[in-house]
Amino acid sequence: MNSFIDKIVELFSTPEYIDSLLHGFWLTIQISYFAILIGIILGTIIALVDTAKSSKWMVVPKFICRIYTTIIRGTPMALQLFIMFFIIFAIRGFPSIITAIIAFGLNSAAYTAEVIRGGILSVDQGQTEAGLALGLSRTTIFFKIVAPQAIKNIIPALGNEIITVIKETAIVSMVGMYDLNMAAKDIGSGQNMASYIVPMFTAALFYLATIYLITFIVKQVEKNLRKSDLREEK
Amino acid sequence: MENNTELIVKGLRKSFGTNKVLNGINFELHEGDRVVILGPSGSGKSTFLRCINWMEEPTAGEIYLNGELLTEKNIRRIRRNVGMVFQHFNLINNLTVMDNLLLAPMKLKIMKRNEAEKRARELLRHIGLSNKADSFPASLSGGQKQRVAIIRAMMLSPEVLLFDEPTSALDPESIGDVLSLIRELADKGMTIMIVTHEMSFAKEIATRIVFIDKGKIIEEGAPTEFFEHPKTPRVQEFLKKVL
Repeated sequence: MNSFIDKIVELFSTPEYIDSLLHGFWLTIQISYFAILIGIILGTIIALVDTAKSSKWMVVPKFICRIYTTIIRGTPMALQLFIMFFIIFAIRGFPSIITAIIAFGLNSAAYTAEVIRGGILSVDQGQTEAGLALGLSRTTIFFKIVAPQAIKNIIPALGNEIITVIKETAIVSMVGMYDLNMAAKDIGSGQNMASYIVPMFTAALFYLATIYLITFIVKQVEKNLRKSDLREEK
Repeated sequence: MENNTELIVKGLRKSFGTNKVLNGINFELHEGDRVVILGPSGSGKSTFLRCINWMEEPTAGEIYLNGELLTEKNIRRIRRNVGMVFQHFNLINNLTVMDNLLLAPMKLKIMKRNEAEKRARELLRHIGLSNKADSFPASLSGGQKQRVAIIRAMMLSPEVLLFDEPTSALDPESIGDVLSLIRELADKGMTIMIVTHEMSFAKEIATRIVFIDKGKIIEEGAPTEFFEHPKTPRVQEFLKKVL
């Protein structure tokens, strides 16, 4: 027990270790942030194409979107990361962080697209019909009626996806990137602390705190959006 | 009928895949008509009503409103003149009662905001729901929702109002409230088409009854004649069951 406390003291009193942890954490945050951003933007586009009214102009885009989500969701994330690193962006000097962001962004887009698509489809068809019967355009109906209701159904599942991406970025250590996960392993290795337990539990706490914060924010947003569902008076 | 012909339906057919729901409907509606559409479930009466404002795009046939043929291009403009009330009310859940009423007049730039708001308040007062203007639909009872849905359709001063089973999802007490509001519109000379299962209401309000079975109009006539001296065996059988 004493040695455990010693290790805690050692980790938090050695500036290099703290520095490494924060560095790793920062990389994790950067990859996650931009990957989620790409995921949401690209995922929204895919979902809109997928739920658009079918017409001859939409046949090819719809087909491409379906193929895309099928491939991404049907193969392991780690393999997609390898393909990005060792085949598509196997360019000397290409910043690995960009490669990682693209890999995770493209992956997240497929899942986000499904989340958004589900949210849009969950809005009662009667809501669209009411808009149509009033002579509103499909664009107005989407922005004023469908989207605001869909978002309520999307936010909880999107929060889930954000959490998944943050945790999944830990696999960048497989291609030698120095993220939070890699930092914990490095600090605990033989040439440093020679004990994994404290750095790894510390890294776990970092992940946990981040995800707890995101869960909290998502809950608040959800609560705000649900206001119009309440039966009592304002 | 001396009045203007508002709506003409010629050879209307509608299929969903291989399922033929409407098999050639010919129909005319005149100003001030109150047509009640009756028929067994699955006969196509709701589909017929929904084809009139192209909620369902007809498979074949022509529909003219005030002499203008309905097409993909003009349907949005024409829908402003054809109000529709749905079985499940379809108030916009994320908008307050007031915003439900203002949505179409504002978005279509038919009225100015203060003008639309004034009309909305008048209509709300009329149905006794002034205090609900800022409530969301979730806090309203079924009957209240349906009455709001009716005045929402009235906001654009349509020429024809279509009612698709407006009381089928309501409790008996609310049914009375909704029917009396429809009755009131009828008394003001509103042109109305209504699909309903309320036989006594049909008898009372209709100027004409249309009976549809298997996607065809098989009998049509004044309510007294229709209910007391039905001509076809199918209608006789139907009336024996429902009355």
